[in-house]
Amino acid sequence: MTNPIIYPEPIEQAIASLENWLQSIGEQNILRHYSLSPRSLALLLLQKDPTIWQTLKQDDKQQQEVEVLLTVAENQLQYPVDLAIAESREKHARNLAGITIQTTQPAANSTQEILHRLSVNPITGFPILMVILYFGVYKFVGEFGAGELVDRIEGFFEGQINPIVNQIVAQILPWQPLQDLIGNDYGIITLGIRYATAIVLPVVATYFLMFSLLEDSGYLPRMSLMLDRLFKSIGLSGRAVIPMVLGLGCDTMATMVTRTLETKRERLIATFLLSLAVPCAAQWGVILGLLAQKPAALMVWGGLIVAIFLFVGYLSAKFFPGTSGAFYLEIPPLRLPKLGNILTKTWIRMKWYFWEILPLFIWASVLIWLGKLTGLFDLIIRGIEPFAVAIGMPPDTAPIFLYGFFRRDYGAAGLFDIQQQGGLTGNQLVVAAVVLTLFLPCIAQLQIMIKEQGLKTTAIMVAFIVPFAFLIGYCVNLFLNVLGVTL
Amino acid sequence: MNCHQCQKNCYSIKQKHSWWTRLTKKYRKEPLLAIDGNIALVGTPNVGKSVLFNRLTGNYVTVSNYPGTTVEVSRGIAKIKDYQIRVIDTPGMYSLVPISEEEQVSRDLLLEESLDMVIHVVDAKNLGRMLPLTFQLMEAGLTVILAINMIDEAEQLGLKVEPDALKIELGIPVVVMSAALNRGVRELKQTILQLLSFQPEPDSANVEMVR
Amino acid sequence: MNALSKVQIGQVQTVAQLQTQDITIRRKLMALGITPGSSLVLEQRFPSYVVKVGYTRAALDREIAASIFVR
Repeated sequence: MTNPIIYPEPIEQAIASLENWLQSIGEQNILRHYSLSPRSLALLLLQKDPTIWQTLKQDDKQQQEVEVLLTVAENQLQYPVDLAIAESREKHARNLAGITIQTTQPAANSTQEILHRLSVNPITGFPILMVILYFGVYKFVGEFGAGELVDRIEGFFEGQINPIVNQIVAQILPWQPLQDLIGNDYGIITLGIRYATAIVLPVVATYFLMFSLLEDSGYLPRMSLMLDRLFKSIGLSGRAVIPMVLGLGCDTMATMVTRTLETKRERLIATFLLSLAVPCAAQWGVILGLLAQKPAALMVWGGLIVAIFLFVGYLSAKFFPGTSGAFYLEIPPLRLPKLGNILTKTWIRMKWYFWEILPLFIWASVLIWLGKLTGLFDLIIRGIEPFAVAIGMPPDTAPIFLYGFFRRDYGAAGLFDIQQQGGLTGNQLVVAAVVLTLFLPCIAQLQIMIKEQGLKTTAIMVAFIVPFAFLIGYCVNLFLNVLGVTL
Repeated sequence: MNCHQCQKNCYSIKQKHSWWTRLTKKYRKEPLLAIDGNIALVGTPNVGKSVLFNRLTGNYVTVSNYPGTTVEVSRGIAKIKDYQIRVIDTPGMYSLVPISEEEQVSRDLLLEESLDMVIHVVDAKNLGRMLPLTFQLMEAGLTVILAINMIDEAEQLGLKVEPDALKIELGIPVVVMSAALNRGVRELKQTILQLLSFQPEPDSANVEMVR
Repeated sequence: MNALSKVQIGQVQTVAQLQTQDITIRRKLMALGITPGSSLVLEQRFPSYVVKVGYTRAALDREIAASIFVR
């Protein structure tokens, strides 16, 4: 292919010498396995490309020869070579764009412009952010998804499906433990599939629908822009807003997406905060449903989690060396989202999520069944019981902390079941909700954490999170009791 | 119109079998297909690479497909006429010299994978500052198609791009399109086949007819 | 020559130079179209700096805005 750009003379000379040199060393060239043209390789060497230089360092002699050529070019140019290369390209690009693009009067789109201004102006922008969070997250996902929809589907399961399953199982399978595997209290269908479809799915579906809407409208980058300063104080930047908001949907997905953050430090803090203090949709949805009748309890839980998020973030910003990542983000125009695209996206995400959780829910059912059958499960639960009692919970809540490890939401769903049976006071609900929110990330999230941050870092995080969650639970319980507060 | 329908059908078949493909994923190394070509989609973040990937392959593999967050390379198969072409979607990159981890992923792919072609996807509104990467891809000796995406938004701003002039200046195929609106996707597919020499280059009269 | 953090809102400015040691930031700014010789308009300062470059908008933090010098 022809060369699109002719660089300033000293650079062209350097390219030519490098090309010659690459050709002359032929087979000995340690860069030869790269499928790039010699000219491109020469340019990358001149721009001190880290990977290519790393490869070059394997051979001292070749490296020295390149360094000599580079110094010669730099001396002739009296200007950093990489800047000169970038400028030549940009100049040519501007020229080409000038020739091939015609500008006419833009179709006036003032509504879009006004909406943009309103959304980023501090006086109107923060209230808009609050309104979106209130209606989008609290009203739509919390009240509609986690309240209304869960009640209906859950009611349908309890009323229609579970009795039928239990009946059929009782008739077909002769052996009680086998019946328990499919039906009854912990069965694959009556527990595993019911949790997945009745409690988790409606919450997650409504959340992803809202998230896709925010995403396609172009609001998310504006959210980053508004929150950058706040996030800087917890060692992150506005860029981390997107993974954090996604984390309110699914922490596992969000942990993957922290990869878009620029510095190692930022990724570490974001991963840590996600696993500690960002409840996923299913989790907070269920908790919201549980605490909905007790506004004071809801406020205590919400306030506490936000405070812990900010405070632990602030501490980790102090603790981990380095500064927050620089924040720069392109702000795309606001658009009216297309319904079809939103539905597709929501569908794709839900499908991913559902296939991710369903096997785990089924496995959890099987494991619980196995554990019950062998007595191992009771042993573990008896180990957790003292902790549950220490934070003021009735002993029969111990299993939900174990479930919580299978899936964040699984634990919350277990809490939901106990509450349905009318077993908990307001104080106990708050304490359990706080501990479950902070408590271990689910298995899927742990897997991703290990993949992204390594086993050691993940182990350290877990070693902090577990005692911390119970400690906070203990303190909250103590505090409420000492003050004589009944929520 | 036909093309559109076909895509829809492919998509629904994929959906139906996805649970099965998922279950058997571990046991399959490679799909039992003869691959007629390897192409990669590259470009800066937020230019709609993933949307185009979905359009070409009918595959919605990206989990978190919101602006600038393709964090992994995804691979899919585009069926164009009777040809099976492997399409690789890459995380955003600004230049051939990588800065971030995502860019490193994309660059390594260009360095190490044997590609028949790269499609450089650019935002029509900001063509001027995206062309430097086009130059770098051309310098690397790759076969490049310039896909000027989001043309609808550029038109709204009163911008008119002249692909023919650009084609002559650059000496590579240029396609103007809007992947989100499914505009120009057909032309892009044709151009891909032409460049893989599965189809004779249409003479200029034909090009006029396509427009 | 003024830092972008000091200029008036709403006026067209020409970028004179980017005073940052951080090559990553310099490259990203270039990718956003903020290069010596290009023109931009500062639209707001709080809670983040917002500039309009050509047909796109970009948000920047204070440190980056302070490293962009305009004429």
